[in-house]
Amino acid sequence: MRRLLLLGLNHATAPLEVREKLAFSGSQRREALLAFKARFPDAEAVLLSTCNRVELYVGRAVHGQPRMEAMVEFLAAFHNLDASRFRGHLYERANAEVVEHLFKVASSLDSMVLGESQIIGQVREAYDAAREAGLAGNMLHPLFQRAVAVGRQVMTRTVIGDGRLSVASVAVEYARRIFEQFADKTVLSIGAGKMATLVLKHFADLKPGRLLVCNRDLGKAQKLAERFGGMAVEFDRLDDHLVAADVVVSSTGSSLPILTRARFDPLRRLRRYRPIFLIDIALPRDIEAGVGDFDNVYLYNIDHLQQVVSETQTNRRESVDAAKAIVASEVTAFAAWHRQRELGPMIEKLYARWHEVAGSELARTLNKLPNLDADQRKAVEDLARRIVNKVLHEPVRRLRQGDGATAANTPGLSAMEQLFGLNEPTKAGPDDEAGDTSQ
Amino acid sequence: MPTNGQIGLLLAAVALFTLGGAFSLARALRDRPGLRAPSRWCAIAGVGCAIAVLVWHSIHRGSWVPLEDNFDALTFLAVMLALFVMYVQRVRPLAGLDWFVWPTVILLLIGAAVFGRVRPHVYTENAWSVVHRASSYGGAVAFAVAAAVGSMYLIASRRLRNRTTHPGPNMGSLERLEGLMLHSVTLGFALLTIGLVTGVVRMFREGAVAANWTLGPKIWLTVAIWLVYALVLHAPMTSGFRGRKAAMLSIVGFALMVGTVVVVQFMPRSVR
Repeated sequence: MRRLLLLGLNHATAPLEVREKLAFSGSQRREALLAFKARFPDAEAVLLSTCNRVELYVGRAVHGQPRMEAMVEFLAAFHNLDASRFRGHLYERANAEVVEHLFKVASSLDSMVLGESQIIGQVREAYDAAREAGLAGNMLHPLFQRAVAVGRQVMTRTVIGDGRLSVASVAVEYARRIFEQFADKTVLSIGAGKMATLVLKHFADLKPGRLLVCNRDLGKAQKLAERFGGMAVEFDRLDDHLVAADVVVSSTGSSLPILTRARFDPLRRLRRYRPIFLIDIALPRDIEAGVGDFDNVYLYNIDHLQQVVSETQTNRRESVDAAKAIVASEVTAFAAWHRQRELGPMIEKLYARWHEVAGSELARTLNKLPNLDADQRKAVEDLARRIVNKVLHEPVRRLRQGDGATAANTPGLSAMEQLFGLNEPTKAGPDDEAGDTSQ
Repeated sequence: MPTNGQIGLLLAAVALFTLGGAFSLARALRDRPGLRAPSRWCAIAGVGCAIAVLVWHSIHRGSWVPLEDNFDALTFLAVMLALFVMYVQRVRPLAGLDWFVWPTVILLLIGAAVFGRVRPHVYTENAWSVVHRASSYGGAVAFAVAAAVGSMYLIASRRLRNRTTHPGPNMGSLERLEGLMLHSVTLGFALLTIGLVTGVVRMFREGAVAANWTLGPKIWLTVAIWLVYALVLHAPMTSGFRGRKAAMLSIVGFALMVGTVVVVQFMPRSVR
């Protein structure tokens, strides 16, 4: 019989200074898993390390190793840290709580940014690393596979992962609704400040044909253009650049609009009325609102983009209940499946053991009753079998039921295992259990 | 003349397309991705039924040219349109394309059931007629697609201009929609031009050129369609007719084409 444990910390329980000390890089994780395997050869382990959390999932025999304290020591020893520096930030989970926690993590319900889908890939990577190290066995293997599936299910069946959470990504999303490809498009940035940098970073990922940075300070424009493989252009020739541009990001500090309706109107003809996406993220605005009234001109200011971000946040918050319901139902289903898997062999052993006892007693009794005919012998044999079945029926029924919330009726199974000697005698002495609250 | 069985099968195709469209709409509006498969299977079954009708009808009348009467010409048009949508959805899905094309497909099938039953007649007299009808019907399919995509363009453009925060169904980028619309119009325009030329040739050959033939509404409507689509085709070159205006023109062109079909169906041959 196996036990599931989790030890970890995350953005809610530990500050960045603590998280970064306990974080594992890819190579460190491999090293740590191998060290874990060497120290606890009979246990399974998955190490999940992201920028927001470090979690060690362990599957082991009920009386096996490691215990929680040993897991804390393992993390401290690997990072050469004093355990007291992070012990207060740790959380511990056992059995069904672990399943629920992992499913919530994979569904991004426990993430800093609700609905971020990156976590599914990170859970998958952690599981793959454990598998490669030979540390994912018959307990963590189904658990993590299910967790990844639950994460995907939540993303597809709810809107928790829909929408964009930054002004820059919303701008790119809108650009994608206007233009199909960007290899033949020109992105023009008017201004070279922080906001322009943020938005250009997203647009540079689209690999546009040309990326122009137009700023009064040409040196600043050159610096920003170099960063994204673009070209700095003179502010005096802004009209020419507007004719060439398909996407314009404007974020200057000008107190008056740079692009007025009167200025843009003659440029439309020179542009041959091509569609243009204007993103005005300046305050006060750089582009006159009237420019957006022209055909094939799509003008968005910071309020328009911010509104989408706010709506995304609201939608994501509203879909939390639906996501939690999916997680809860999956936890129950997994617990039921796990209970069946744990109980099956145990119950078989129990029945076999008691039928064996009954059989030997029956043989002894039948030896003392040589005059019984075949029918009478069969009746006595049936009697013995029925008594065993009746005696075991109630305890087995209770075991199967569990308590409805845990993966299996673990204390009951453990007691059954020990009382009837269903497993090999445990090597762990009574002292091993002392102080381990995870039992 | 189609049999009752053929009409029944045609109506089954109508029901399947209607059901498929409803599933597709419900999938988008109620956010139920699970309805994608039923929607697709309904469309496949609908196409299957319509093709079965064509085959049955062809066997029944002993000819395999699907342009000889209203019944199989309209059914053939519907099948071509449906196959086009299924092809696009398989190669590079465009959410919502079926919502805009299925109504036309359904109307064509209903038209086949009604006009095919009421006015059976044989069209194909010679090779010019076959080319004339094949190119005209092919052009009609292309214009129907252009009109559907034009409608999608107008909706997508309006959503962008209104800065709708809810993303809604992904109808594809305006650039893709405009490209698809222009491609359809290019193909339709070429076929319509062939149809026009062969139609004129046919009229001369058949000696149908009467003193007032140029004033017939069918001819005027066809020329108007030709001019509208010529304008749409020149949209990338002519400054004022890009984007929304081109989309609106493609819809107007399709409406004129439907008008031509109605004229052909209901007016006496002498007036046409």
